[in-house]
Amino acid sequence: MLLLDYGNLLIESLLKDRFAPGATPTSIDQISGEFDNTSFHISTPESKSKILISLAIKCYPELVKYGAEEVLQREYGSLIVQPESGYDFSVGVDLEQLPESEEEKTDLIRRISLMKRNALAAPFEQAFDEFASLQEQARQYTSESAPQGVREGGEVRAIHYREEEAIYIKASHDRVTVIFSTIFREETDRVYGKVFLQEFVDARKRGVQNAPQVLARDDPPLELQGIPGIKAGKGEVTYVTFVLFPRHLTPQRRAEVISHIETFRDYFHYHIKASKAYIHSRMRRRTADFLQVLRRARPEAEEKERKTASGRTFTVKG
Amino acid sequence: MSQSLRPYLSCVRSTLTAALSLSNFASQASERHNVPEIEAATSPELLLNPLVVSRNQDERVLVEPSVNSVRVSIRIKQADEIEGILVHKFMRFLSQRAEAFFVLRRKAVAGYDISFLITNFHTEEMLKHKLVDFIIQFMEEVDKEISEMKLFLNARARFVAESFLTPFD
Repeated sequence: MLLLDYGNLLIESLLKDRFAPGATPTSIDQISGEFDNTSFHISTPESKSKILISLAIKCYPELVKYGAEEVLQREYGSLIVQPESGYDFSVGVDLEQLPESEEEKTDLIRRISLMKRNALAAPFEQAFDEFASLQEQARQYTSESAPQGVREGGEVRAIHYREEEAIYIKASHDRVTVIFSTIFREETDRVYGKVFLQEFVDARKRGVQNAPQVLARDDPPLELQGIPGIKAGKGEVTYVTFVLFPRHLTPQRRAEVISHIETFRDYFHYHIKASKAYIHSRMRRRTADFLQVLRRARPEAEEKERKTASGRTFTVKG
Repeated sequence: MSQSLRPYLSCVRSTLTAALSLSNFASQASERHNVPEIEAATSPELLLNPLVVSRNQDERVLVEPSVNSVRVSIRIKQADEIEGILVHKFMRFLSQRAEAFFVLRRKAVAGYDISFLITNFHTEEMLKHKLVDFIIQFMEEVDKEISEMKLFLNARARFVAESFLTPFD
């Protein structure tokens, strides 16, 4: 399990159980959280055959601003119901009106499990569209004569998806820049993170030549100048920039690229934690080895003559 | 073993062997007490001259002998931030298990990464030359382990980064 899954596993397995032919409808009431404070609520409020899946995401108002509603409308269409109180977005599935074929069912399950991915995808899609139109406009000019708007690129879309961390997306005529800001809780994480980021930066030189360019730095990159809420100068926030080139932005690649880049933050932190765990277990093993060496320093207890209760001794015949 | 490591370790070995001539010595300061004099430091006449064996700027061993106890402190090489973190974590891990190690001190002497405290009771219970062997082997293996962990971390980071970026290809 090296790469993270894009969808929510709990939703997927719950729905698969319920959708299976011959499954009896039962009441469900489950809450599932994800790393970025997103929470899902899967319940059967009215009857056992009507499943309601709700999503609460911290940055929903921002996402709406970037067109999340249209994206969700496109993905879920008639499934959308009035949002449950305390949640931002809900879809309802009626077990009695499921699609007939197995493929359609699997597709429906997959689509619902990708709910968070779809909500977060809105600003990416918007930026990719903006890139396409800027590219179109830029064709008419040379690089010197381009008007300000085309040369500079579009506005920066900020998604504050965690307490202190955010994703910034900016489109220009030849690329889309995605910037993750991330904070390390501990000094150890910061040092490990630095090692990992260095490898991300170097990966392009070594073979994955078509990958987006990755840059990592401690101070806000130039793209983020003048954005409210960003402290200038070096701080505890690390900024990781992905530069997506036109080849990543083609309509065929788009969905895959969006899904994949959304998992970056979780993937990155997950592997830092995994390395820490491995190193810890390694130290544990090494400590046991040292104890072994020290035990050798103790002289072995001398073999005493053993006697039975009746006073007879053991001897080795040979 | 590199050229400069051998004389360094053999020097530490002979220093330790010489320092580990300990005898039972009850406290002069309070009746019916028997404490490691190097830690109590109540009577200066019982402390011998401390000695530093140093391989280079960042690797050295401090041996502080006294009449009934020896304190050995080791500073481990830390070339960069990662090694610093790894050494710190590993040594903390060991110190927390000091009980199991008998001769390990819970806290390192200032300026060193890990300290051992060997008293006359330890030398009576255990074989002296094997104790010295333990410390020497410890020094050898810690360096090896730290550099292996660092290599592992780099290799893993590289693999993780490449696997993330490959789907974009």
